[in-house]
Amino acid sequence: MPRDESESQVDRRTLLKAVGGAAATVSVAGCGGAQNTPTEGGDDGGDEDDGETETDTPMGDGETEDTPTDDGGEESFSVGVTLGQMDSGLDPHDHAETPTNIIVSQAYEGLMGRDKEGAIIAKLATEWERVEPGTARFTLRDGVTFQNGDELTSEDVRYSIRRVETEEVGGALPQDGDLAGTGTLENVEAGDGEVTVTFGGLNPIVFQLFATNGQVMQQSWVEENGTDFINRNVNGTGPFQLTGYESGTSVSYENYGDYWGEPAAADELTMTASSESSTRVNQLLAEETDIVTNVPPQEISRVQSSDVASVNPVPSTRIIFLQMRYDLEPFSSQQFRQAMNYAVDVESIVENVLQGFGEITGQPTLSQFTGHNPDIDPYGYDPDEAERLVEESGHAGVDITLQTPIGRYLRDVEIAQAAANQIDSLSNVNCELQQREFNSLVQDVTAPNIEDRPPFTLLGWGNAEFDASQTIVPLLTSDGALSILQNEEVDSLIEEAQNESNPDEREQVLQECNQLLHDLAPWVFLHQQFSVYGVSNNVQWQPRPDELIDAWTATQN
Amino acid sequence: MSLGRLAVKRSLQGIGVVWGVITVVFALRFITPGSVINAVAPLDASQETRQAIAAELGLDQPLYVQYGQYLVELVQGDMGFSYVKGQAVVTMVFERVPATLELAVAATVVAIVLSIPLGVLSATRRNSPVDYGATLFSLGGISTPNFWLGIMLILVFAVQFDVFQTSGRGATSVAVVASLVGPEPFVGTLLEWLSYITLPAIALGTYFMALITRLTRSGMLDELGKSYVRAARAKGAPEALVRYKHALRNTLIPVITVLGLQLGTLIGGAVITEAVFAWPGLGTLVIQSINLRDWPALQGCLIVIGTAFVIVNIVVDIIYGYLDPRVVYD
Repeated sequence: MPRDESESQVDRRTLLKAVGGAAATVSVAGCGGAQNTPTEGGDDGGDEDDGETETDTPMGDGETEDTPTDDGGEESFSVGVTLGQMDSGLDPHDHAETPTNIIVSQAYEGLMGRDKEGAIIAKLATEWERVEPGTARFTLRDGVTFQNGDELTSEDVRYSIRRVETEEVGGALPQDGDLAGTGTLENVEAGDGEVTVTFGGLNPIVFQLFATNGQVMQQSWVEENGTDFINRNVNGTGPFQLTGYESGTSVSYENYGDYWGEPAAADELTMTASSESSTRVNQLLAEETDIVTNVPPQEISRVQSSDVASVNPVPSTRIIFLQMRYDLEPFSSQQFRQAMNYAVDVESIVENVLQGFGEITGQPTLSQFTGHNPDIDPYGYDPDEAERLVEESGHAGVDITLQTPIGRYLRDVEIAQAAANQIDSLSNVNCELQQREFNSLVQDVTAPNIEDRPPFTLLGWGNAEFDASQTIVPLLTSDGALSILQNEEVDSLIEEAQNESNPDEREQVLQECNQLLHDLAPWVFLHQQFSVYGVSNNVQWQPRPDELIDAWTATQN
Repeated sequence: MSLGRLAVKRSLQGIGVVWGVITVVFALRFITPGSVINAVAPLDASQETRQAIAAELGLDQPLYVQYGQYLVELVQGDMGFSYVKGQAVVTMVFERVPATLELAVAATVVAIVLSIPLGVLSATRRNSPVDYGATLFSLGGISTPNFWLGIMLILVFAVQFDVFQTSGRGATSVAVVASLVGPEPFVGTLLEWLSYITLPAIALGTYFMALITRLTRSGMLDELGKSYVRAARAKGAPEALVRYKHALRNTLIPVITVLGLQLGTLIGGAVITEAVFAWPGLGTLVIQSINLRDWPALQGCLIVIGTAFVIVNIVVDIIYGYLDPRVVYD
């Protein structure tokens, strides 16, 4: 008994000592950290040195501040990007959302790409032409190597195209249709330094599709490795190659020395994510990262007033709207739908909810896209006209409910609240708001039958192909995967456009279709969303409309 | 001997618990709206594409078939593949465990280091300003939501004063230990580790610190009023000996129980703190998996969290018997 007692006493003492020691260490280290962290902040997550040598930060000790030119030479330049969400695996074909696309695009490339304005540029193909109505030929670039050292072959390109489009290669992947459009892929022929692709239909926007989609992978690399490996490793042809991957946490790249094109300025690139926008802004302001996505309007002034970063907005390819199901009262009435357009004050929403970062729309096609009709004016805010039209439609006194996703689009709930309030303030319509988690709302929005889709919903649509049809076909034609409209005239105009090989005539048809859709008013046309990036003063980088982050164009300031 | 029996018994109970968790999560698939297809396929995917993807993921099978298959694979040590990421769930989950464990332990250390001395102090100086201060402090700690505390800590100590990192995880504790012998400088690695872990550990540990302060204080008061304390004092034993050897030791018994249980909670429940600090632990994976309806990944996390709970409870039981010899396992 006494022995036992003394034993445990020693243990308790040891415990207390250890605890006390830990406390002392924490407090000492806390003070030490106070002096050292500013120097660490400057090198932006690069962990190759201990922060001892880097003193060139705005918060440096003063004595070293007069040598800012020192770091130009041998010092490595690393760029940090913080997104809202990490990748869903690194397989460039097995995903359908923007964050993954941003991450894999640093290393994987398609045959063609886009510049900052959205215009088509050459990537792995140097030339492309339509040899027959439904057939396109791509001439491949010479001397392109994958990051494992192997040379790119036309077989690899053939394999990648087929992997995207056909189920026999690589199984069912979500990008089905990204290259063939509304038609089918008939045949891919791999020739000597060229690839010929034949489609089931005309595929009028084939080059638009190839400029946005269809990243090229190496056939043998994909076939020799398992799904888990392909989703954790990268073997592309792009300017960056993978150095580290932590699932859901971070992706690290370094400059790929044998890149065929102009090498990226950055030696290292780290991509991380944080779903809280305030966390992203904090990271930017603490100089832990260089580029952050989606700075919310309420945080903009905090970034602008700091001296380490600024916001960089660009009109995105995403349109925000309230869709109304054409077959359901009261939305079956065209007058009622138009009335809703007059009832919502989009200008004040853009001004007050989005701090001006939004462009008012009046048609489903954005001004940067093929098929945009410049003669269409937005409806404008006119509550008296709205009340008159509701009266005329015979639905005065009706109760409606607007559904909105929570946190899917920039300030979606606040926008929906404002819109619902404005509609509700009409004397003859009562409008309520229902907030829904996105995944469960989407389940309804994409229901197989139009009768099961929700009647009145806030939704956003991104269209990285810059062509009117990529919005109208899925959302507003009878066979669209989430359409809320069945209108023969719209269907036949789209049909005509999809079979028109003359680009000018096709554009005319699409413009006519947009005018029709403006009048039909299947949506309350809201605004074009802006992408608002926070960019550190350490780097020079221009954002682009298609929501991609081309980190290889970032340069040191 | 009896200890071994206890461990076996508790492990069997643990397996039952984990099986229950899996079953409940499977049942949840019935009533949860939304589907993983929406996270995998684009919104405008055709019905054919959706069905093909569902078939590939095995979602076209009846639920009881999926359930049976899952259990059979699990017994063989296979947690399957993530629906969304296509990565093996085993790796996804276990590469997150160290981060969560590290944060939980750090938060517990923060809590113990501050709370037990504070509790003892306020019990022995009852109704003094120290006691009032400690009470106020611990009440504040209990009633402060830790996500708010986290955001405030970031704003003040990471953004305003730039002392700590705002979020993420830098050097691991393993790297810190390795730097003692390895080529990396020890102090630099240690400071990097601290610059990331300090704020989340404080944010997470504050609630427990407050809780344990209260517990220590009331337990200590209780013990100090007991007759064995009076006897010891009457015998002329030094006050320090009476307080810290006799009274505190008995006070610690319930404290250890609560601490053990809380460590289990910390492993599973640090979800919000992890989200605020973008700490790459199990909690963030749980949130992501729920949002995407990535059931295999979610189940993987829950199995690990459930197992951790069971293990922590067994350990607490063993420590309990060690501290209080009167406890008999049966």
